[in-house]
Amino acid sequence: MSQIDDVMGRLTADIDAVFLFAPSDSLFAELAEEETVVVVGAENGPGAERFVELPLDFTAIGDRVRFGVEGALEKEYVVEADDILCLGETYADELDTAVRVRAGEFTESGVYDLFVNSRAEPGVIRNVLEVAVELGKKGQKGKPVGALFVVGDAGKVMNKSRPLSYNPFEKSHVHVGDPIVNVMLKEFSRLDGAFVISDSGKIVSAYRYLEPSAEGVDIPKGLGARHMAAGAVTRDTNATAIVLSESDGLVRAFKGGELILEIDPEEY
Amino acid sequence: MVVSNFRPLMNVPDLVRTLFSEETAVAVAILVLFLGAVVGYLIWRFTRSMLEQAGVPEAVEGTVFERTLQNIGLSTVGLVAQLAAIFVYALAIFIALQTAQVIDPTQFWTGFSAYLSQLFIAALAIIVGLILGDKASLAVSERLRSIKLPQISILAPIVKYSIFYVAALVALGQLGVATMALLVLLGVYVFGVLFLGGLAFKHLLAAGAAGIYLLLTEPYSIGDEIEIGDRRGVVQEIDMFVTHVENDDAEFIVPNQRVFQSGVTRFR
Repeated sequence: MSQIDDVMGRLTADIDAVFLFAPSDSLFAELAEEETVVVVGAENGPGAERFVELPLDFTAIGDRVRFGVEGALEKEYVVEADDILCLGETYADELDTAVRVRAGEFTESGVYDLFVNSRAEPGVIRNVLEVAVELGKKGQKGKPVGALFVVGDAGKVMNKSRPLSYNPFEKSHVHVGDPIVNVMLKEFSRLDGAFVISDSGKIVSAYRYLEPSAEGVDIPKGLGARHMAAGAVTRDTNATAIVLSESDGLVRAFKGGELILEIDPEEY
Repeated sequence: MVVSNFRPLMNVPDLVRTLFSEETAVAVAILVLFLGAVVGYLIWRFTRSMLEQAGVPEAVEGTVFERTLQNIGLSTVGLVAQLAAIFVYALAIFIALQTAQVIDPTQFWTGFSAYLSQLFIAALAIIVGLILGDKASLAVSERLRSIKLPQISILAPIVKYSIFYVAALVALGQLGVATMALLVLLGVYVFGVLFLGGLAFKHLLAAGAAGIYLLLTEPYSIGDEIEIGDRRGVVQEIDMFVTHVENDDAEFIVPNQRVFQSGVTRFR
């Protein structure tokens, strides 16, 4: 037994901060007396002073840790040299996982940045991601579909694109996140072209052909024209692009011309 | 007005006594009692079915008043119907007693039947006020739910207690309590809400009215290059109150009424 305690002791020795991914009020109160505690989750249950909001319900603990650490670095709760103990739940609905990680260990992927520092509101990006994921899961009438959403900086995006046909969303004032919209987006996803969504979530247009200059856009080879257009439009404007791939079914987010996030709808 | 309606009823005992002998008057009194019971029952049935037909039970469902009544085994419809029936019973008993000359037709007792009707209307006003206030506050808070501001949440209670206040005023007025001071208070209050509220929200109301026009007709849409006043740029967002116009240096947030004050120039 003492060896196990040794191992656990090494795991928890000299840590600078504790990240709680499954905050129960009592646990938080106990830990907060001695350590720097950062709560990471969908909501700030115990009302902690240091809190990083998770915009997505990441299934893998690795993604959650990564997002939490990037958020905490951004908010300057921790510095890169800090050792962090992450307590979370992987299988059960209670505390069952401890991970020790150094804050500077990740090359910054910008996942936190994607949500919090984008032009569009975080809730809008989350809603669009959810729509894309749902579309990826079910497809259109059982067949896989592809879709491209350009979120934020809509004025500029509209000027860097042209209509492929009449805009079905003209004068319609619908916002992503309205319950009726998911069905609508699903129906319109069979149209070619991109959806343009404004900073506040209004669906400005469907059926747009994006024509940004693709010079210097570096996306993984093998991805198709849809991804190239997404990467290029985010490099030319301050928008964020969310792409559902028709061929491999993954949802990818681009910002500043780079691939930031990759989600598999099936795991989500 | 209510009092004059009941004048003929009060003359009934006198009429009966002039027409019939003492013994017959007692018989008539008993008949009146019996008739009162039947009419009261019919009124109870009629009110009940009428209220149910009008959909009152669904309308009051879930209000605090209805829930309180249900706790003591009553319902709003039942209560109103019973009040109406009790009113008829009381009137019948009163007329019967007068006909049989059990009580003296003094000043107090002649006023009694008129007072009875006022009491009934006062009770009705209180019930309607309680339910209406509750409903209105529910509707207001529901409408404002998307606005997450602590200042907004006081609006619903204000509406509720305003309605309670008016209902209490009506009830007290019916009972003949001097309500002049309360009326003045109400006047001051309404003046404050309308005048000061209008003053405070003047610009917001003007912007909102202009915004409704802009959203309905869309003279310009997201992506157009426009000039409002001396603010020139690409439209990024249009909402109810403001238009976001962005150029290379800055993003202008222009109140919508400016569109009508200075007009819009669209550039092709």
